[in-house]
Order: sequence, then structure tokens, then C-alpha cells
Amino acid sequence: MNDAGFDVLDEYLAKARSGERAALASLVRAHQRSVYSLALRMLGTRDLAEDLTQDVFMQLNGNLSTIESNRHLGFWLRQVTTNRAIDQLRRRSRVQLTSLDEEQELFCAEDGTDPLLQRHLRALLSDLSPQARAVLLLRYQEDLDPMDIARALDMPINTVKSHLKRSLETMREKTGGIPMRCEDQPT
Amino acid sequence: MNQDIESGMRSALRPVAPSDEFSRKLLARVAADPQARPKSYGLMPRSARPLAWWLATSLAACLVLAVGIERHLEQQRLQQSGLEARREVLQALRVTSQKLNLAFEAVKSQSTSLADEKPGL
Repeated sequence: MNDAGFDVLDEYLAKARSGERAALASLVRAHQRSVYSLALRMLGTRDLAEDLTQDVFMQLNGNLSTIESNRHLGFWLRQVTTNRAIDQLRRRSRVQLTSLDEEQELFCAEDGTDPLLQRHLRALLSDLSPQARAVLLLRYQEDLDPMDIARALDMPINTVKSHLKRSLETMREKTGGIPMRCEDQPT
Repeated sequence: MNQDIESGMRSALRPVAPSDEFSRKLLARVAADPQARPKSYGLMPRSARPLAWWLATSLAACLVLAVGIERHLEQQRLQQSGLEARREVLQALRVTSQKLNLAFEAVKSQSTSLADEKPGL
């Protein structure tokens, strides 16, 4: 999001804090994609992801006065979403595997990455521990740096780096036979 | 190779949008309830939440009502039995008093007639 976008959203935040519902709706619209995607890939099913997304935004309603800026809001939403998802996963005996219609991609991505590889990577992600999954999602979906991930998950930075290193190694091993790019596939 | 995996991850983990229907509901809910606090519904399906809330509230109200009615009836029963006992005691006292009066009158009349029959003694 560019600076102008942030300025507008900061204005919306100020208006939302003073009770303007349309401004709050704009903030929800701006952040729902990120919150929903995190919830979906942490929990693995659309129903659970929708429930968590709704709960997080309802929690935001009660905490608007503590949010200082749109940047802070983005951080707060990611932090609450991942931590609540980790709590839910700890309570569940078995993690459900991702099997989502919207996750199926039948065409090559714009960057040329093989769709089969993408599906495989998402499946591997669901095999990781909740903490490792959260670290990868915050790094590669939300593009946070390790320091911000450590703050969001209340985790030492070395643990974050260790999760990233180990998870990437595991993924590299398990995707050994799959071509990385569409043009690498045999015709 | 690591860079390939990293770019693969970025590509695989592009954010996805929720369904339009969910977005509409979410916006409506947030806009309608601006001061809502987080609720811990756990893993209960969202559609079951209002029903569960009403069931829990109704059950609690029924319990309070039942306990209240039971206590009221118990108190009434105690009051009734107390009044009944009081009535019986009063009745017994009345009967005893009447018997004693009769006995007293009988003794008194016998003493008077004996005194009349033996004036010289």
C-alpha cells in the first residue's frame, strides 16, 4: 500500500474512532483480505477462517481507541489473527488439511510458478507446527521481516529465523521432484 | 534453489479474498455493533450462535424461576402447617378449659349440697 493509501486509511481510522461507521467499514474492507487469508491458511477451512475473521474484527471494534495508526492497525490485526489461530489449533487434536476450492489454481501464476508446486507448498504448510506456519505466513504472505514477526508472535528473533530456515529446508526437500516454473515442465 | 522456494512460497501464499457474501455480512455486523467486545464462541458454527445464546438464556431464566417458585411453595406449605398446628392447640385448650369448668362446677355444687344436709356439724 502506498503512502497516500496509508494517509487515507489513517483518516478513516480517526473517523472510525470517533464513531463513524462508514470509516470503520472502509478499514474492514482494506484489511479483510489479509486477515481472512491468514485465518484460512492457519486453520485450513473456510468456515473456521470466516468465524475467526469475524471475531477479530469484532475484537477490533472494542479496541479501536488503542490503535494509533493504520500501520499499527495492520500489525495488530495480524498479531491477533495469528495468535488466536494458534490457540485454536492447540485446542484441536488434529489439524485439518487445506482443501479449498479457492486454493485450486489451474493456470500458471504471473511469475511463472507452477500451480502444482503452489498446491504442494500449501499442503506442506499445513503439515507444519502452528508456530512455524504462522512464521511462514507472516514472512511470505504478509511480507513482514523477521523482527516484526518476532514482535507479532512474541517470539525470540532467533526462533523466528530458525523456523524459517528449517521450514524452507523441509519444503525444498519435499518439493525436490516438482518443477519450479511452468517453462521447466516437460511438454 | 532457496530463492526459488521463497518465490514459490510468495506465489502460493498470495492473499485470497473472502466471498462477497461473507464480506457483506462482516461489514453489516461490524457496522451494526460498533462497541461489540470479543466473544469466545470457540468452534461453534456461527449460524448456531444466536440459537445457543437464546437457549442458554432461556434455560437460566427457567432455572431461576423454578427455584423461586419452589421456595415460595415451600414457604407457603410451612406457613399453612404452622397455622394448622396453632388452630389445633387453641381448640385443645378450649376443650380442656370447658372440661375443667364443668369439673369445677360439679365439685362446687357437691360441696354446697353436703353443707346444706349437715348443718349441725
